Amino acid sequence: MALIPYRGRTMPGATLASLRDEMNDLLNRFWASTAEPFGLAEWSPPLDVAETDDAVLVHVEIPGIEAKDLDISVTGDVLTIRGEKHDAKEEAGHNYLRVERRYGAFTRTLTLPAPVDAAHVEAKAHAGVLEIRLPKKAEAKPRKVEIKGA
Amino acid sequence: MVDTVSVPVEPKHSRLEPPESYFVPATDIYETADELLLVADLPGVKADGLDVTLEDNILVIRAKPREEPKAGGDVLLQEFAAGEFYRAFQLPADFDTTKVQATLKQGVLTLRLPKSERLKPRRIEVKAE
Repeated sequence: MALIPYRGRTMPGATLASLRDEMNDLLNRFWASTAEPFGLAEWSPPLDVAETDDAVLVHVEIPGIEAKDLDISVTGDVLTIRGEKHDAKEEAGHNYLRVERRYGAFTRTLTLPAPVDAAHVEAKAHAGVLEIRLPKKAEAKPRKVEIKGA
Repeated sequence: MVDTVSVPVEPKHSRLEPPESYFVPATDIYETADELLLVADLPGVKADGLDVTLEDNILVIRAKPREEPKAGGDVLLQEFAAGEFYRAFQLPADFDTTKVQATLKQGVLTLRLPKSERLKPRRIEVKAE
Protein backbone atom coordinates (compact mmCIF):
# COMPACT_ATOMS: atom_id res chain seq x y z
CA MET A 1 0.00 0.00 0.00
CA ALA A 2 1.42 3.33 -1.00
CA LEU A 3 1.50 6.02 1.60
CA ILE A 4 -0.65 8.96 0.66
CA PRO A 5 0.58 12.14 2.25
CA TYR A 6 -1.96 14.09 4.18
CA ARG A 7 -2.85 17.34 2.47
CA GLY A 8 -3.93 20.38 4.33
CA ARG A 9 -7.15 22.19 3.53
CA THR A 10 -5.59 25.40 2.44
CA MET A 11 -5.81 24.91 -1.31
CA PRO A 12 -9.13 25.18 -3.09
CA GLY A 13 -10.18 21.76 -4.30
CA ALA A 14 -8.00 20.03 -1.72
CA THR A 15 -11.05 18.64 0.08
CA LEU A 16 -12.24 16.82 -3.03
CA ALA A 17 -8.76 15.53 -3.77
CA SER A 18 -8.35 14.21 -0.27
CA LEU A 19 -11.81 12.62 -0.39
CA ARG A 20 -10.79 10.82 -3.56
CA ASP A 21 -7.54 9.67 -1.95
CA GLU A 22 -9.36 8.46 1.11
CA MET A 23 -11.86 6.49 -0.99
CA ASN A 24 -9.01 4.90 -2.95
CA ASP A 25 -7.21 4.05 0.25
CA LEU A 26 -10.39 2.58 1.74
CA LEU A 27 -11.06 0.45 -1.35
CA ASN A 28 -7.45 -0.71 -1.49
CA ARG A 29 -7.57 -1.78 2.11
CA PHE A 30 -10.96 -3.42 1.63
CA TRP A 31 -9.77 -5.53 -1.30
CA ALA A 32 -6.45 -6.25 0.37
CA SER A 33 -8.28 -7.70 3.34
CA THR A 34 -10.52 -9.96 1.26
CA ALA A 35 -7.73 -11.28 -0.95
CA GLU A 36 -7.83 -14.42 1.14
CA PRO A 37 -10.92 -16.41 2.04
CA PHE A 38 -12.80 -15.16 5.06
CA GLY A 39 -11.33 -16.38 8.29
CA LEU A 40 -7.90 -16.79 6.78
CA ALA A 41 -7.65 -13.14 5.89
CA GLU A 42 -4.70 -11.39 7.43
CA TRP A 43 -5.28 -8.60 9.84
CA SER A 44 -3.16 -5.52 10.14
CA PRO A 45 -2.50 -3.56 13.28
CA PRO A 46 -3.27 0.16 13.00
CA LEU A 47 -0.33 2.50 12.57
CA ASP A 48 0.42 6.21 12.62
CA VAL A 49 3.09 7.87 10.51
CA ALA A 50 4.52 11.32 11.16
CA GLU A 51 7.35 13.19 9.50
CA THR A 52 9.60 15.70 11.22
CA ASP A 53 12.54 17.65 9.79
CA ASP A 54 15.02 14.89 10.57
CA ALA A 55 13.06 11.66 10.96
CA VAL A 56 10.03 9.61 10.02
CA LEU A 57 8.16 8.28 13.06
CA VAL A 58 5.95 5.21 12.90
CA HIS A 59 3.75 4.05 15.79
CA VAL A 60 2.02 0.67 15.67
CA GLU A 61 -0.51 -0.75 18.12
CA ILE A 62 0.75 -4.22 19.03
CA PRO A 63 -0.82 -5.19 22.36
CA GLY A 64 0.31 -8.62 23.51
CA ILE A 65 2.96 -9.12 20.83
CA GLU A 66 6.42 -9.93 22.10
CA ALA A 67 9.58 -8.44 20.59
CA LYS A 68 10.72 -11.89 19.46
CA ASP A 69 7.57 -12.22 17.36
CA LEU A 70 8.25 -8.98 15.48
CA ASP A 71 10.41 -8.45 12.43
CA ILE A 72 11.12 -4.96 11.15
CA SER A 73 13.10 -4.32 7.99
CA VAL A 74 13.92 -1.39 5.72
CA THR A 75 14.71 -1.95 2.05
CA GLY A 76 15.36 1.22 0.11
CA ASP A 77 12.42 3.44 0.97
CA VAL A 78 10.10 0.59 1.96
CA LEU A 79 9.45 -0.27 5.59
CA THR A 80 8.13 -3.76 6.33
CA ILE A 81 6.75 -4.82 9.70
CA ARG A 82 5.94 -8.48 10.22
CA GLY A 83 4.66 -10.09 13.35
CA GLU A 84 2.49 -12.69 14.89
CA LYS A 85 0.00 -12.49 17.72
CA HIS A 86 -0.60 -15.62 19.73
CA ASP A 87 -3.93 -16.89 20.82
CA ALA A 88 -5.04 -16.93 24.46
CA LYS A 89 -6.80 -20.22 23.64
CA GLU A 90 -3.52 -22.05 24.11
CA GLU A 91 -3.76 -21.26 27.78
CA ALA A 92 -7.48 -21.11 28.37
CA GLY A 93 -8.83 -23.92 26.25
CA HIS A 94 -11.63 -23.57 23.74
CA ASN A 95 -14.55 -22.74 25.94
CA TYR A 96 -14.82 -19.14 24.88
CA LEU A 97 -17.72 -16.82 25.51
CA ARG A 98 -16.41 -13.93 23.47
CA VAL A 99 -13.50 -13.53 21.05
CA GLU A 100 -12.95 -10.01 19.73
CA ARG A 101 -9.19 -9.74 19.57
CA ARG A 102 -7.45 -10.60 16.32
CA TYR A 103 -4.77 -13.26 16.15
CA GLY A 104 -2.26 -14.59 13.71
CA ALA A 105 0.43 -13.29 11.42
CA PHE A 106 0.41 -9.88 9.79
CA THR A 107 2.57 -7.94 7.38
CA ARG A 108 2.47 -4.20 6.84
CA THR A 109 4.47 -2.52 4.14
CA LEU A 110 4.69 1.16 3.55
CA THR A 111 6.59 3.48 1.29
CA LEU A 112 8.45 6.06 3.32
CA PRO A 113 8.04 9.72 2.41
CA ALA A 114 11.81 10.39 2.42
CA PRO A 115 15.07 8.45 2.04
CA VAL A 116 16.14 7.12 5.44
CA ASP A 117 19.39 5.98 6.99
CA ALA A 118 18.62 2.27 7.40
CA ALA A 119 21.65 1.69 9.65
CA HIS A 120 20.31 4.00 12.36
CA VAL A 121 16.68 2.95 12.56
CA GLU A 122 15.54 2.52 16.17
CA ALA A 123 12.55 0.56 17.41
CA LYS A 124 11.16 0.25 20.92
CA ALA A 125 7.99 -1.20 22.36
CA HIS A 126 6.15 0.35 25.29
CA ALA A 127 2.94 -0.99 26.81
CA GLY A 128 1.84 -2.55 23.54
CA VAL A 129 2.79 0.37 21.30
CA LEU A 130 5.75 0.00 18.97
CA GLU A 131 7.67 3.12 18.03
CA ILE A 132 9.99 3.09 15.04
CA ARG A 133 12.23 6.09 14.43
CA LEU A 134 13.78 6.29 10.98
CA PRO A 135 16.31 9.11 10.69
CA LYS A 136 16.33 10.82 7.31
CA LYS A 137 19.40 10.82 5.11
CA ALA A 138 21.24 14.12 5.15
CA GLU A 139 20.09 15.04 1.64
CA ALA A 140 16.45 14.67 2.66
CA LYS A 141 16.68 17.09 5.56
CA PRO A 142 15.59 20.63 4.92
CA ARG A 143 18.48 23.05 4.66
CA LYS A 144 18.16 26.68 5.49
CA VAL A 145 19.53 28.90 2.76
CA GLU A 146 21.23 32.04 3.98
CA ILE A 147 20.54 35.21 2.08
CA LYS A 148 23.64 37.29 1.61
CA GLY A 149 23.20 40.88 2.59
CA ALA A 150 22.73 43.31 -0.24
CA MET B 1 -22.57 -21.44 30.84
CA VAL B 2 -22.10 -18.19 32.67
CA ASP B 3 -24.04 -15.37 31.12
CA THR B 4 -21.65 -12.50 30.50
CA VAL B 5 -23.08 -9.51 28.75
CA SER B 6 -21.70 -6.11 27.98
CA VAL B 7 -24.40 -3.79 29.25
CA PRO B 8 -25.15 -0.11 29.37
CA VAL B 9 -25.43 -0.13 33.15
CA GLU B 10 -27.44 2.27 35.22
CA PRO B 11 -24.64 3.74 37.24
CA LYS B 12 -25.07 4.37 40.92
CA HIS B 13 -21.63 5.84 41.30
CA SER B 14 -19.88 8.35 39.12
CA ARG B 15 -16.81 6.17 38.66
CA LEU B 16 -18.95 3.55 36.95
CA GLU B 17 -20.22 6.06 34.44
CA PRO B 18 -18.67 6.02 31.00
CA PRO B 19 -16.58 9.01 29.97
CA GLU B 20 -17.97 11.34 27.35
CA SER B 21 -16.01 9.71 24.55
CA TYR B 22 -14.13 6.47 24.78
CA PHE B 23 -12.81 3.45 22.93
CA VAL B 24 -14.17 -0.03 23.55
CA PRO B 25 -11.26 -2.41 24.03
CA ALA B 26 -11.40 -5.71 22.13
CA THR B 27 -11.97 -8.36 24.77
CA ASP B 28 -11.84 -12.15 24.85
CA ILE B 29 -13.61 -14.09 27.58
CA TYR B 30 -12.93 -17.73 28.29
CA GLU B 31 -14.54 -19.98 30.83
CA THR B 32 -12.76 -22.83 32.53
CA ALA B 33 -14.00 -25.10 35.29
CA ASP B 34 -12.58 -22.82 37.98
CA GLU B 35 -12.65 -19.31 36.62
CA LEU B 36 -13.56 -16.78 34.01
CA LEU B 37 -10.59 -15.45 32.10
CA LEU B 38 -10.99 -12.01 30.57
CA VAL B 39 -8.33 -10.67 28.20
CA ALA B 40 -8.54 -7.08 26.93
CA ASP B 41 -6.28 -5.18 24.53
CA LEU B 42 -5.35 -1.80 26.00
CA PRO B 43 -2.47 -0.56 23.85
CA GLY B 44 -0.48 2.27 25.40
CA VAL B 45 -1.87 1.73 28.90
CA LYS B 46 0.39 1.32 31.92
CA ALA B 47 -0.61 0.11 35.37
CA ASP B 48 -0.97 3.64 36.78
CA GLY B 49 -3.47 4.55 34.07
CA LEU B 50 -5.68 1.53 34.65
CA ASP B 51 -8.69 1.34 36.95
CA VAL B 52 -10.63 -1.91 37.35
CA THR B 53 -13.60 -1.90 39.72
CA LEU B 54 -16.07 -4.57 40.68
CA GLU B 55 -19.15 -3.28 42.40
CA ASP B 56 -22.59 -4.84 42.61
CA ASN B 57 -21.36 -7.49 40.17
CA ILE B 58 -20.62 -4.88 37.56
CA LEU B 59 -17.06 -5.04 36.34
CA VAL B 60 -15.80 -1.74 34.99
CA ILE B 61 -12.54 -1.31 33.13
CA ARG B 62 -11.31 2.24 32.62
CA ALA B 63 -7.90 2.99 31.21
CA LYS B 64 -5.99 6.00 30.00
CA PRO B 65 -3.07 5.49 27.66
CA ARG B 66 0.19 7.14 28.52
CA GLU B 67 0.29 10.63 27.05
CA GLU B 68 2.64 10.63 24.10
CA PRO B 69 4.90 13.63 24.00
CA LYS B 70 4.05 15.21 20.69
CA ALA B 71 6.96 14.69 18.36
CA GLY B 72 5.70 17.45 16.12
CA GLY B 73 6.05 17.17 12.39
CA ASP B 74 3.43 16.42 9.81
CA VAL B 75 0.97 13.59 10.27
CA LEU B 76 1.02 11.48 7.11
CA LEU B 77 -1.19 8.62 8.18
CA GLN B 78 -3.34 8.17 11.25
CA GLU B 79 -5.13 4.90 11.85
CA PHE B 80 -5.50 5.05 15.59
CA ALA B 81 -6.06 7.75 18.15
CA ALA B 82 -5.13 7.82 21.79
CA GLY B 83 -8.04 8.13 24.16
CA GLU B 84 -9.69 6.65 27.18
CA PHE B 85 -10.83 3.03 27.16
CA TYR B 86 -14.05 2.04 28.89
CA ARG B 87 -16.00 -1.18 29.16
CA ALA B 88 -18.52 -2.58 31.61
CA PHE B 89 -19.65 -6.16 32.09
CA GLN B 90 -22.46 -7.55 34.16
CA LEU B 91 -21.26 -10.60 36.04
CA PRO B 92 -23.37 -13.29 37.60
CA ALA B 93 -23.49 -13.10 41.38
CA ASP B 94 -21.44 -16.18 42.10
CA PHE B 95 -17.94 -14.87 41.94
CA ASP B 96 -15.40 -14.71 44.64
CA THR B 97 -14.71 -11.00 44.27
CA THR B 98 -11.95 -11.00 46.87
CA LYS B 99 -9.80 -13.30 44.75
CA VAL B 100 -9.90 -11.49 41.43
CA GLN B 101 -6.43 -11.24 39.90
CA ALA B 102 -5.46 -8.60 37.37
CA THR B 103 -2.23 -8.38 35.40
CA LEU B 104 -1.16 -5.93 32.73
CA LYS B 105 1.54 -6.89 30.29
CA GLN B 106 2.47 -5.29 26.98
CA GLY B 107 -0.80 -3.41 26.87
CA VAL B 108 -2.91 -6.51 27.54
CA LEU B 109 -5.06 -6.76 30.67
CA THR B 110 -5.71 -10.28 31.97
CA LEU B 111 -8.38 -10.68 34.63
CA ARG B 112 -8.95 -13.96 36.42
CA LEU B 113 -12.28 -14.20 38.18
CA PRO B 114 -12.47 -17.35 40.28
CA LYS B 115 -15.87 -18.98 40.51
CA SER B 116 -17.38 -19.53 43.89
CA GLU B 117 -17.59 -23.12 45.04
CA ARG B 118 -21.29 -23.22 44.20
CA LEU B 119 -20.63 -22.53 40.50
CA LYS B 120 -17.90 -25.07 39.98
CA PRO B 121 -18.86 -28.26 38.26
CA ARG B 122 -19.18 -31.07 40.72
CA ARG B 123 -18.97 -34.70 39.90
CA ILE B 124 -21.68 -36.71 41.53
CA GLU B 125 -20.70 -40.14 42.56
CA VAL B 126 -23.18 -42.81 41.66
CA LYS B 127 -23.31 -45.60 44.14
CA ALA B 128 -23.90 -49.01 42.73
CA GLU B 129 -26.60 -50.89 44.53
